[in-house]
Amino acid sequence: MLKIDNLAAQVEDKVILRGLNLDVKAGEVHAIMGPNGAGKSTLGHVLAGRAGYEVTGGSADFDGQSLFDLEPEERAQAGLFLAFQYPVEIPGVSNMEFLKASVDAVRASRGQEALSSMDFIKLAREKCQAVDLPQDFLKRGVNEGFSGGEKKRNELLQMMLLEPKLCILDETDSGLDIDALQVVANGVNALRSPDRAMIVVTHYQRLLDYIVPDYVHVLAKGKIVKSGGRELALELEKQGYGWIDEEVA
Amino acid sequence: MSENIDQYLKSEYAAGWTTDVESLTIPPGLNEDVIRLISAKKQEPEWMLEWRLQAFRAWLEMEEPNWAHVKYAKPDFQSLSYYSSPKSMEERPKSLDEVDPELLRTYEKLGIPVHEQEVLAGVAVDMVFDSVSVGTTFREKLKDAGVIFCSISEAIQEYPELVKKYLGSVVPQKDNFYAALNSAVFSDGSFVYIPKGVRCPMELSTYFRINEAKTGQFERTLLIADEGSHVSYLEGCTAPMRDENQLHAAVVELVALDDAEIKYSTVQNWYPGNEEGEGGIFNFVTKRGMAHNRSKISWTQVETGSAVTWKYPSCILKGDDSIGEFYSVALTSNYQQADTGTKMIHLGKNTRSTIIAKGISAKRSENAYRGLVRMNPGAEGARNYTQCDSLLIGDQCGAHTFPYIESKNPTAVIEHEATTSKVSDDQLFLCQQRGIDPEKAVSMIVNGFCKEVFKELPMEFAVEAGKLLEVSLEGAVG
Amino acid sequence: MAVVSMQAQNAHQQLQAATDWNWLSNWRALGWERFSNTPWPTRKTEDWKYTPLRSLTNTDWQLAAPSGDAQGVDFDDWSRMTLTLVDGQLVDHDALPEGVSVRLLSKADAQTRGDFEQRLSRTLAGERQLFNVFNQAMLTEAVWIEIAPGTVLDKPLHLNQVISSAATERVIPVRVLVDVGDRAEATLVETFSNDASGAVFINPVTELQLAANARLRHYHLLLEEGDVRHLGSVHASLGGYANLDSFHMALGGTLKRKDLVVEHNGSGAELTLNGVYLPRGQEHIDYHTTLEHCVPHCTSSEVFRGIVADRAKAVFNGRIHIHKDAQKTLAELSNKNLLTSHQAEVDTKPELEIYADDVKCAHGATVAQRDDSALFYFLARGIRREEAEVMLNFAFINELLDGLADAPVRDLLQPLLRERFAQGAALEPLA
Repeated sequence: MLKIDNLAAQVEDKVILRGLNLDVKAGEVHAIMGPNGAGKSTLGHVLAGRAGYEVTGGSADFDGQSLFDLEPEERAQAGLFLAFQYPVEIPGVSNMEFLKASVDAVRASRGQEALSSMDFIKLAREKCQAVDLPQDFLKRGVNEGFSGGEKKRNELLQMMLLEPKLCILDETDSGLDIDALQVVANGVNALRSPDRAMIVVTHYQRLLDYIVPDYVHVLAKGKIVKSGGRELALELEKQGYGWIDEEVA
Repeated sequence: MSENIDQYLKSEYAAGWTTDVESLTIPPGLNEDVIRLISAKKQEPEWMLEWRLQAFRAWLEMEEPNWAHVKYAKPDFQSLSYYSSPKSMEERPKSLDEVDPELLRTYEKLGIPVHEQEVLAGVAVDMVFDSVSVGTTFREKLKDAGVIFCSISEAIQEYPELVKKYLGSVVPQKDNFYAALNSAVFSDGSFVYIPKGVRCPMELSTYFRINEAKTGQFERTLLIADEGSHVSYLEGCTAPMRDENQLHAAVVELVALDDAEIKYSTVQNWYPGNEEGEGGIFNFVTKRGMAHNRSKISWTQVETGSAVTWKYPSCILKGDDSIGEFYSVALTSNYQQADTGTKMIHLGKNTRSTIIAKGISAKRSENAYRGLVRMNPGAEGARNYTQCDSLLIGDQCGAHTFPYIESKNPTAVIEHEATTSKVSDDQLFLCQQRGIDPEKAVSMIVNGFCKEVFKELPMEFAVEAGKLLEVSLEGAVG
Repeated sequence: MAVVSMQAQNAHQQLQAATDWNWLSNWRALGWERFSNTPWPTRKTEDWKYTPLRSLTNTDWQLAAPSGDAQGVDFDDWSRMTLTLVDGQLVDHDALPEGVSVRLLSKADAQTRGDFEQRLSRTLAGERQLFNVFNQAMLTEAVWIEIAPGTVLDKPLHLNQVISSAATERVIPVRVLVDVGDRAEATLVETFSNDASGAVFINPVTELQLAANARLRHYHLLLEEGDVRHLGSVHASLGGYANLDSFHMALGGTLKRKDLVVEHNGSGAELTLNGVYLPRGQEHIDYHTTLEHCVPHCTSSEVFRGIVADRAKAVFNGRIHIHKDAQKTLAELSNKNLLTSHQAEVDTKPELEIYADDVKCAHGATVAQRDDSALFYFLARGIRREEAEVMLNFAFINELLDGLADAPVRDLLQPLLRERFAQGAALEPLA
C-alpha cells in the first residue's frame, strides 16, 4: 500500500530524513520508534505534505500513485490520514462544520454523494459516542479549549468518519493518561481491518501494549536502523535508545 | 513618582564643556547670499551651488511640520549662523599632523581614537567640528581596499560623478522642511563609497561635535555600498551645555546596491538641556536608505540626548528580497521630548523588515514612537514584524505609540505589538532589600529592557551605550 | 469650504426659521458655527487621512421630509421592545415597561424642553468632530431613552432605524440618548438598515450614559446596503463600576465611518468593545475608536477584526489614552485584518498615549493571511484549499459572533456573514 524508497527530507535547510525505506502492506500495523529528534514526526508531516517539509530525494508510492505529486488534500482524499500529535485549535469553525466539509470532500473524491445534513449529524453523534466525546463537542470550535485527551479523541472521531486506507498516528499517546490511552487504543483497534494499514509513531513502548504491531522499526538519525517484530519494542523498553546510537555509529 | 526614584535621576551631562579655539563664524541670517558664501568657502563647483539654491527656493515655500508629538518654540532661522569653522581650518590641513592639537584634544577628551596607533584604533574616524571636517583617520589604509572615506566637501571636489549620481537620490531636496533646509546650507559630513564585492576592513565612524554658540549644524552623510559590498558605520554626537537651543538638521542617505549590506549605528548624546528644560539641541534629522535586490540595511540607534528629537531612519525596500531593520532605544528625561521611529516602505517581492523600538521615559519627558509600515501592491510575500515597548519611570512622563500600518497586498504579512511597563517602587525596594542600590537596580532593569537593541551594536558601542544610559538615568529614579 | 456645507447651510437656515424654540435654535447655531469653521478634511487631516469624503460632496443633499414606509430589521420571535424610526422619525413603538421612558425632541412640551436643554448641554460640550457638530447643526429629532435606577429589564430594547426609499438624496441626522440609571441593567440593540435604492446620507449620533453600577449590553449594527453614506458616532460615559459590553458590525454601503468614544469617568468601570467590518466591492468602512481612561482602576478590552475583499478599503484607528491620574488601568486592544484580493486595502493605526506609569496597556495589530497550521489541518482532512480558506475566513469573523451573549443577534448576523463567504457549502449551519 505504501512503499517508501530512500526518502530524504529537510525542514528549513536542516536535513532530517536521510534515506528512509519502509514497505507497508494492507492489513499491517507498523510501529516506528526512536529517540527524540530522530525524525519521527517529520515522517508523518512529509507524507501528509505539510508546507516547509521539503522532500530532497527518494520516493513514496501510495496505492500506485506517487505521493509527492499530490497536494495535501488530494493525499487525504486518496485515503491517507495523519492523526496529529498537537491538533491545532480553530475557533470560529464548529467541529460539526469542519467534519462535514471533510467527509463531503473525501466522499466526493470517491465519487460518492454528499450525506444529507440529517444523516451526517446522526452519523457524527454515533461516532462521538464511540470515542466517548460528549455531543456538545460537535458544536464547539474545532479543538477549541479541548483537553489533550479530548483532542486525541477528536482525531480518532475524524479517522472513524473518513475511513482512510492508511492511518499514521503521530505520538498519539503523548499527554494521555492510562484511561484515555485505553479509549483511544480501543478506537484504533476497532478500525484495524484487512484493507487498512497503520503506522504508529511513538517514543514509548507502552502504547504498543494496547495497539499491538506486526512490525517494529527503529528510526534514528533520519533512517530505519533496525526492524523486527513485537519483541524489538520490548527490547527497546529494557535497554533504552543508547545502544542504537552505538550501533549506528 | 516617589522622591526615592527622583533623587537617582539627577545627572551631569559629561560632554558639556567647550573647546577654546578661535572660530570664523559668519553672521546670523539666511538668504541666497549666505548659501553662495558657504558654497564659495567650500570652493564648490557651480552645479553644487545650483543644487543648493534649488533646495533653498523650495524651502521658502514649505511649512515647518507640526504633526509630531513635540512642543517647542520654532527656531528663528534668521538668528542662526549657518557656517562656523575653527580659524586653523581655513587652510585645509593636508594630514592629521597639521591639525590644530587643540581640536584633536577635543575628540580625545570625548574618548574618540584620533591617533591611528591607538589600541581602539580598529575604527576609522571622520571628525566633524561645527561646520567642517577636521580630519579623517586611516584614509590610506582604506584606500588600499578601494574604500573611499572622506568629508563630503572633499568628495564633491574629488568624486563629483559619484556625488552627482547619488546625492538627493534617496532624500530628495524637497523631501521635507528640514531636509530642504539641509540641502540648501549643509556644510560638511561624511562620504563613504564601498566598491563592488568589498568587505570594508574596519568600522567607519563619524563623530559630530557642535562647539560654537548660536550656530546650527547641518551635516550631510552619503554612503554608497556597491554590489555585494559590506560596511558597518558608527555615528556619535555631543555638544556643550548652552542655555539657548541649538539646531541640528542632518540628512543621511544610504544606498545599498544589489547584495550589499549596510549597518548604520548611532549613539546620539547631544546636550539635552538642563533639569528645568532650558537649552539643548533640536535634533531634526532625515535618515533614509534605499535597498536594492537582496541587499540589507540595518539602522541601530541609541538616543539619549537632545531637547527635542524628530527622527525616523527609514528603509525603502525597493529590490526583491531586500531587508530593512530598525533597532532603537530612545531615552528621555527631564523635559526632553522625542518623536522617533521608522518607515519601512515595501515595494519589492519577499522584502522583509523588523522593527524593535524601546522607549524609556523618566521625569517630565515625552517619548513617542511613530512608525509606518507600508506594503505596496507589488510587495508579494513581504513580511514585517514590529515590537514597540515603553518603560515609564515615574508618573509625570508620557509614553506614546503611533504606528501607521498600510497594506495593499493580500500576501503580505504585518505583525505589530506594543506594550508598556514601569520601574516601580516595589521593584526597587525588593532590590534594595537584597542589597542592590536603587541606581544599580534601575540600570539593570533598563539594560535588560534594551538588551535586544544593544546586541545589534558593535561591541565597543554597546558598552558605551550601556554606560550612557546609566549616566542619563542618574537621578532618574525619583 | 466644501460643497456639502453650501447646501447644508440652506437646510440649516430653513430649520432655524421653522422653530420657535430659542434654545434649540442657539444650540444648532453653535453646531453650525463649529461645522463651518472646521476646515474640510483632506489627506493631510490626521483623522481623515485614509477616508476621503468625495462621495459626500457630489450630491445635492436635502433634509429628510418624513414620508417613507419601511420595516427594518425583524428579530422574529425574540421577545423584545422595539422602537422603529423610519427616515429619522419615530413611527412606532411597543409598550414600555415600568422604569423606562422615551421622550422625543420633536414632541417636547415645556417641561421636556427644559430637560432636553440640560441633557444636550451636558454632553459633548467641547465637541469638534465634524459630523457630530453637523448633527448638532441639523438636529431635527432626538430620541431620549431613560432607564430608571435599579430597573432590570428582562427584554432587550430594539432601536430599529430604517431608511425608506422615499429618502433618496436626503440627509438624516438623528440623535439617540440613552441614560442607564444607577444599578439598572439593560440590553440595547441598535440596527441600521435601508429599503432605499437611491443615495442617502445618514448622520446618527448615539450617546450612552451609564450611571454608577449600571450595566448595558449594546449592539450597534450598520447593515445598510447600496448607495449609503453613514457618518456617525457613539459616545459612552461610564460611571463607577459601570459595565458596558458593546458590539459593532459594519458591512455594505458606499462609505461608513463610525467614531466610538468611551470615557471611563468613574473608578472600577469596565468596558468590552468588539467589532467586525466586512467591506467588499468598492465599499469603504472606517472605525475610529478612542478609549479615554480619565480615572484609576478601570478596564478596557477591545477586539476589532475585518476582512477586506475586492476593491474595498477598511480603515481602523484605535486610540487608548491614559490620563495622568488613571493609575492601575488595564487596557488592551487587538486589531486583525485579512485582505482577500490584490485590489483591497487596509490602513490601521493602534495608538497608545500614556501619562500614568502604573498601568498595563498593550495593543497588537496584524494584517495577514490565516494561520498556516490551521490551513494544513484542513488540507490534511481532504478539504479543498479554496474551501478551507473560505472556512477559515469565516471563522476569523465568526469567532467574535460566537461570543455574543444574545443568540437572536447572532442568528441575525451569521446568515449575513455566511452569505458573504458563500462559496463553500460547508458553511451551511448544522445543528
